Amino acid sequence: MHNLLNVNNLQIAFRKRKKSIKVVNGVDFGISKGEIVGIVGESGCGKSVTSLSIMRLFHDTSGEVVGGTIQFKEKDLLELSEREMRRIRGKEIAMIFQEPMTSLNPVMKIGKQLIQGIMLHLGLNREEAKQQAVEMLKLVGIPRAESIMNEYPHQLSGGMRQRVMIAIAMSCEPELLIADEPTTALDVTIQAQILQLMKKIQRERGTAILLITHDLGVVAESCDRVVVMYAGRVVEEATVEELFESPLHPYTQGLIESVPKIGNRKEELYSIPGHVPNPEAMPNGCKFASRCPYVMDICREREPQLVSNNNGRKQRCWLHQSIKEEERKTIG
Amino acid sequence: MVDNELLKVKGLKKYFPISNGWFSSKEYVKAVDEVSFSVKKGETLSLVGESGCGKSTLGRLINGLIKADAGDIVFKGDNLAEASETKWRSYRKPMQMIFQDPYASLSPRMKIKEIIAEPLKIHDPSLSREEREAKVKSILEICGIDYYHSDKYPHEFSGGQRQRIGIARALILQPELIIADEPVSALDVSIQAQILNLLKKLQKDYQLTYLFISHDLSVVEHISDHVAVMYLGNIVEIAPREAIFEDPKHPYTKALLSSVPIPDPKLKRESIILKGEIPNAANPPKGCKFHTRCPLAMSICSKEIPIMKTVGDKQQMVACHLYQ
Amino acid sequence: MSETMTVSKQQIASKRGTLSTFWHDFRQRKVAFISFLFFVLLVILAVIGPYIVPFNPQTPDYNHVLQGMSQKHWAGTDEYGRDVLSRLIAGTRISLGIGISSVLIGAMAGTILGLVSGYFGKWVDKTIMRICDVLFAFPDILLAIGIVAILGPGLKNVIFAVAFFSVPSFARMVRGKTLEVKEMLFIEAEKSIGAKTNRIIFRHIFPETIPIIIVYLTMQVGTAILAAASLSFLGLGASPSSPDWGAMLSMSRDYIGTAFNLVFFPGLAIFLTVLSLNNLGDGLRDILDPKIKD
Repeated sequence: MHNLLNVNNLQIAFRKRKKSIKVVNGVDFGISKGEIVGIVGESGCGKSVTSLSIMRLFHDTSGEVVGGTIQFKEKDLLELSEREMRRIRGKEIAMIFQEPMTSLNPVMKIGKQLIQGIMLHLGLNREEAKQQAVEMLKLVGIPRAESIMNEYPHQLSGGMRQRVMIAIAMSCEPELLIADEPTTALDVTIQAQILQLMKKIQRERGTAILLITHDLGVVAESCDRVVVMYAGRVVEEATVEELFESPLHPYTQGLIESVPKIGNRKEELYSIPGHVPNPEAMPNGCKFASRCPYVMDICREREPQLVSNNNGRKQRCWLHQSIKEEERKTIG
Repeated sequence: MVDNELLKVKGLKKYFPISNGWFSSKEYVKAVDEVSFSVKKGETLSLVGESGCGKSTLGRLINGLIKADAGDIVFKGDNLAEASETKWRSYRKPMQMIFQDPYASLSPRMKIKEIIAEPLKIHDPSLSREEREAKVKSILEICGIDYYHSDKYPHEFSGGQRQRIGIARALILQPELIIADEPVSALDVSIQAQILNLLKKLQKDYQLTYLFISHDLSVVEHISDHVAVMYLGNIVEIAPREAIFEDPKHPYTKALLSSVPIPDPKLKRESIILKGEIPNAANPPKGCKFHTRCPLAMSICSKEIPIMKTVGDKQQMVACHLYQ
Repeated sequence: MSETMTVSKQQIASKRGTLSTFWHDFRQRKVAFISFLFFVLLVILAVIGPYIVPFNPQTPDYNHVLQGMSQKHWAGTDEYGRDVLSRLIAGTRISLGIGISSVLIGAMAGTILGLVSGYFGKWVDKTIMRICDVLFAFPDILLAIGIVAILGPGLKNVIFAVAFFSVPSFARMVRGKTLEVKEMLFIEAEKSIGAKTNRIIFRHIFPETIPIIIVYLTMQVGTAILAAASLSFLGLGASPSSPDWGAMLSMSRDYIGTAFNLVFFPGLAIFLTVLSLNNLGDGLRDILDPKIKD
């Protein structure tokens, strides 16, 4: 058990033409205080929906959590009333998105957007809130903090906007920051700045960060622990060193192998054949079986569980676990 | 003309006017400013840089989708910069493009076999229906799409398959030069690897020349023979791949390289984190455009524009006062 | 933002193209679907109407003048003793004919103007759009009256007049869509393979405008029927003896106090037809192009 957040057997379904399609089915992970945990996976693996469900933010009303628990400290977030949830959102858990422009109000000055949240959650008066806001902007490395307060989001560059988003998110000193692809829309040199900033925040303020990304490089550079998702499931979890040193799940291995690495050029890149199964027509058994180089008969018949090894590593792969004898008989 | 030089660009310029209110004087964004380079047949030149550096504009200039303000585009010995629209059209047969967003670049209401047959209908209208279909079939198979799917529409395919369709369309006229504008950046890593392998294989099989536009240095290292690094409309360094990646000269190239996150947690390197943002292209810094962010800036850098110079013995050209 | 969501949305949006899902969506919209069935009925009537009418709609019967509703004459008879129901059924062909043909002509002209205007921009666009603005400044019916006044009354001229006033709305709408589509990447891709302008406009941009054209066409047919009826009512359209719904209304003006059925049934026919076309158009719009609201 982790002492900040524990997600257990999360299941999320989307409704489409009266059919319910499970896009997340069996996600377990946890975050301890002050830790940076990464969730990696390719598009459609369910990582973003998972992060939204922690905040209970479904912009698309056709999606809903249909099973599992999200334990944040003592409370199950899924059991809370909307009112109680509002008190947690922004104050205890904050979130930043890939495209900051969509989550900033375009017709409100930056200062006002910052001050609003601070007054609401910390109960400060306007003057104190303003001071706190300027301080936050300085913390995130915005050079002319006072003058930025009077500017509108469109006057800033992408990197600056993301800094402002981080300032807003951090202004109430949340214990958990969820960052959903925070650097994907940014240039590499700016990405490096933002990643550095996030690590600084975690170090200095002890904020736990859940970093959702598709970029293994970003994970390797910033995370302590990594959760790998595939087709709506967690397939592997390990510390960042272990994961890159000895990935257990064939999907993780393939993913790491297919990234071109600077200074390690090969004539041909390894590539995972095929593509991610359609959530409307999920195969039985392991969801990766059709692309897996080590596929066995059992993989196509039964889906493995997410199993914890002695050293705390978790994997969902038949190569690293065995079914009990009696079960084997019933399957034949 | 140098041996087997397929494309040569010299002093190319494109300024986009921006109106700044009614009464103020006209300003220009120098999207591409005095750019020169050449590409040999069968090689890959990558244009790399951050957003706003002009790499995509450069690709469109060379393809004639936008007209250059000044400079030469010499393709197979002919200067296209001043060419008429009709002449351009005939040059689009040996010069094709692949786009970043494979979905948006495919006509949504056409079956894929129609999409791929489009270039044939335009440039080879005399072909019979059967001949056309035979060509579509063979090119689809080369690009890894079963002909069985050719009656489907683009939205029925995944991102990687759509990019294969885009490649098939570019390839069907047997072009010599392919301008690929961020062809893999919209794809997932595992799919990206498939497409990169395909591009490399096609290059080998058909002697293709690529102008590869990308922001991703790790992809660029994988695919290129030569690399040109761009910053705010200029090429700041152009060199063979090994030189750029093993011995970068320009401080911007160095910073760019060290900003790329490495998927290996054991390699904790000292990365150069550039300060500040990319300056506004409408009002770039004087002198060397990079001097505002350069960790090694000297006083001369803010005054004089550095010129391209060959440094070392590896045909490495750098525009930086450190090497003048 | 959330990839899964955008992906699933995209899939839903793109799958609208296929016919079976279109039909499925369409059936879900009860009002639009009923309107559609009603419209189909009208079209059938327009085709076979003259062969199934109980009485000859043209032959006067002076023995049965101005009769009320009865078993024999369900909707009564007019001042010449002609059966009103028969005249209504026979009139379907005229009304729908005028409505559909005039709008088709207007749509064709408007679409070409809109495509050209939107694609070429600059002075071409300015000229076409300014002319449209001028035409928009006149109320539709006034414009139509003016044209018929110049050309003289008659069905052909009514069709032309109604076609004329629907041109600018089609032109403007198609232009808007063209402006949007011509910036799309696949148009650039098409240019990059060397396609000529004609091909780009008619083979690539035009198909993208078809959904909004269909939607607007449907709604505009209602307006056109109404306008044609008004012209006939004013004596500028079909000859008073022909069983046109507007002309029937016009004829029965004098009997409005004594024989309400003479006014009521043609009015009802026009009302139901226009209503069903508008509902059908609304439904089609929601399915084909949720972005255009009015």
